[in-house]
Amino acid sequence: MTGITNLLRKNRTQSITLAALVVLFLLALQGMEPSDWIITVLRGLSVAAVTFLVASGFSLIFGLMDVLNLAHGTLFMIGAYLGWTAYVRPDTLLDLATPFALFIAGLMLAPLWDAGLSRARVAMRAGRVLPWLILALGLGVLAFGLVRYPITAWDASVYDKSPVVFGVQLDLGQTDLPAPLTADRAQVILAMMSVFAGGALVALGLALNAARQRLAAPRVTWRALWLPLSLIVVGVLVYALNDALTAGVVAAGTTWRFCIAVIVATLAGAGLGALMESTLIRPLYARPIYQLMLTLGLGVIGREVVIALWGRTQMQMPKPALFNAMGKGCPAETLWDALINQCATINFMGTRIRTYNEIFIFVVGVIVLIVVWMLLQRTRIGMIIRAGVQDRAMVEALGINVRQVFTFVFALGVGLAALGGVLAGPSMGVSDDMGESLLLAGLIALAIGGLTSFPGAAAGSLLVGLLQQFIVKYGQIGIALPFGAQPFKPTPPLVPASTLLLMVIILLVMPNGLFGRRE
Amino acid sequence: MKILRDHSTFLAVVVFLIAFPFLMALLDGQSIGAMLAGQSGNSKFYQGLLIEIFILGIFALSYDLLFGITGLLSFGHAMFFAVGAYTAGLALKSLKLPLPQTLGLVILAGIAQALLFSIVLPRVKGITFALVTLGFASVFHIVIMSHELNDLAGGDVGLQNIPKPDYLDPAAQRLTFYFVALAFTILVYLFYRRFVDSPTGRVCIAIRENEHRAQMLGYNTFYFKLVALIVSGITAALGGALHALYQPIVSPVTASLAYTVNALLIILIGGVGTLSGALVGAAVFRLLQFFLDKFFGESSSFILGVVYVALVLFLPYGIIGTWRAHRLEWQAAWRARFARVATMLNRKT
Repeated sequence: MTGITNLLRKNRTQSITLAALVVLFLLALQGMEPSDWIITVLRGLSVAAVTFLVASGFSLIFGLMDVLNLAHGTLFMIGAYLGWTAYVRPDTLLDLATPFALFIAGLMLAPLWDAGLSRARVAMRAGRVLPWLILALGLGVLAFGLVRYPITAWDASVYDKSPVVFGVQLDLGQTDLPAPLTADRAQVILAMMSVFAGGALVALGLALNAARQRLAAPRVTWRALWLPLSLIVVGVLVYALNDALTAGVVAAGTTWRFCIAVIVATLAGAGLGALMESTLIRPLYARPIYQLMLTLGLGVIGREVVIALWGRTQMQMPKPALFNAMGKGCPAETLWDALINQCATINFMGTRIRTYNEIFIFVVGVIVLIVVWMLLQRTRIGMIIRAGVQDRAMVEALGINVRQVFTFVFALGVGLAALGGVLAGPSMGVSDDMGESLLLAGLIALAIGGLTSFPGAAAGSLLVGLLQQFIVKYGQIGIALPFGAQPFKPTPPLVPASTLLLMVIILLVMPNGLFGRRE
Repeated sequence: MKILRDHSTFLAVVVFLIAFPFLMALLDGQSIGAMLAGQSGNSKFYQGLLIEIFILGIFALSYDLLFGITGLLSFGHAMFFAVGAYTAGLALKSLKLPLPQTLGLVILAGIAQALLFSIVLPRVKGITFALVTLGFASVFHIVIMSHELNDLAGGDVGLQNIPKPDYLDPAAQRLTFYFVALAFTILVYLFYRRFVDSPTGRVCIAIRENEHRAQMLGYNTFYFKLVALIVSGITAALGGALHALYQPIVSPVTASLAYTVNALLIILIGGVGTLSGALVGAAVFRLLQFFLDKFFGESSSFILGVVYVALVLFLPYGIIGTWRAHRLEWQAAWRARFARVATMLNRKT
């Protein structure tokens, strides 16, 4: 008991502010029906889960590398778009899988180049321009191959073939994918080879650039070659079995397709993150402020690429079948019934709750929280990350390759954001501006939680999500103020303003956030 | 003469900018008289573009003083600019004040703002300060956009129909406005140079480099940061007032995070903490935006993004910063090249 009193006495300002906030919150709850209250809390939890997926990656990246990744919102959006593609157009995804695997296989030849270059000592004579030329040549060869490879895609400029239409069709329960393109076999083989060669050339360019700055030759592990080889095999197999695979995926139903979409988006996001870190962000650790400009520029580029490929119109991403039925036994009375009957809604305490929006997203958020928490607390790499957050230089001095850990954490953070994007797709709709508000919300959650603290990110997201949804709710029903006859109805712009104000108040009282360490 | 030699680049740029409207008119085949009378044409158009660059440059200079010199990262700097713009607009429109009083009011508003930001200075540092200021600015942005203030501030369209004094009307008296903006920019720049070279400015740089050491040397760093905030706030507010005088509409976008990010981008392009970099960066930023929009239309923001990434990778400390870091070796390299050519020519003759 004395412990608690001491704690309160030490943090008097903090406790008083928190108590005041809680009292305000409870006062505000007057005049709200219990059912309204429940639905608002559940919605808040769902928003909090999505925010958490963005904020957690943010916090890991900022904590370990001091990079404020302003492209995180765009990466969240890219996750949603990739997930949409995998979900609505599995044929396009499978078509893309082959060139993608071949390109990555080409990129993975980098260790081979490294070894060859250090033996032949060409790198010293290569000069400054040659690596870039080779890089550009590689990208050109890649483009040459990609243009020739048959990819059944949509066409944003033709209405019948636009992504929007496919989304709506799937929502109506139809999946009529366009017939696959037929192409000459020799052409396809040429395209596949040039995609692979493009990857290899890009790797050569990068290796040349890196070798110029390297003093000692890297150690070669020839075992590293089995991965690109197996990727080539996978790519060719996918091409050979393309039609059968497409038919299989379409027949598997939307629930399985959604699982595939989640996995594809998360992995692709993680890969994108690893690529970003290892090529663009790594040179900038010495001058942190320029990372802001770089990530900002990347965010803009990503958004424009998305607009160019998918068009500007907001797309629908139907809910998977497991959460979409309306017929017999729906709305269900219990969670179990809902799962059995695949209900879209549940009756709970006199209100109707959507299983996908209010339950599934939150459950996934909690699972991610637990998994990442275990990763941080119980594994070796988690230990290195935690140590790195505290003192990066010391970890390096102990002989741990921090670079690899940086790449891993960046990939993890971006992967989580992409996961958030694909989960938010069915509830928010997929549009190119969905990342911006999430970026701000994630930033606020991060600041509330204490910037580098992982549980802090969770707590911050919780506060942000709940506050947002309560303000939205009061916008509908009005809030009875002690003075003033009319109930006060907060307008939509007040939603972000309220969370920002909460952040300012918390930061002023606790400059290190709720869970932050004192500097 | 020594002054001429030491500041040759600066003077050359000033002379060029003074001559610019006339040169542009000559290039365009417009008579000087027509240009002086304010007839439309390329000269008038590019004067307008340059005025926008001057305003952006003033805004970026004030941000450079805060972030590049004193080391205070603020994400709410656009609020200074917007408060200046809205104060000037409202004073001219609703209070019907003459221009000098308006400018006085704008300066007061800038100081008040700086004092507001300084309340949080002792408590929060680093990125937290940036986020708190972001909070202030965003709340201001939302308030200024709200429907309740529609009659006063014009909601999300912005403040329209600001009466402009006849002698400074940007449509009819563009050339006068151009020279006023140019003179003001030069004055601000010279003042900032002087400020950075003054003992106060030196302490500000010391705070950026190592605040604890500055404290140990006996400086109350809070006051120096406060001075930097006030100077920066007044400048940004005056820049905002100029914006309100020049633009037909003062849009609430001027208070948004995007506007602060513009200032940050400008000084990153030009070089953080170099002062002249802020002006160069503003020119590069606005001209890039303008010409990319003109020639690429839809895909211009994509190219702008690529340009940012390329700038970060190839000009590691911004244009002026990289130039300062490598000037001597580049000059030596060119001198060696010239010498080689000269010896080759000598040998032939």
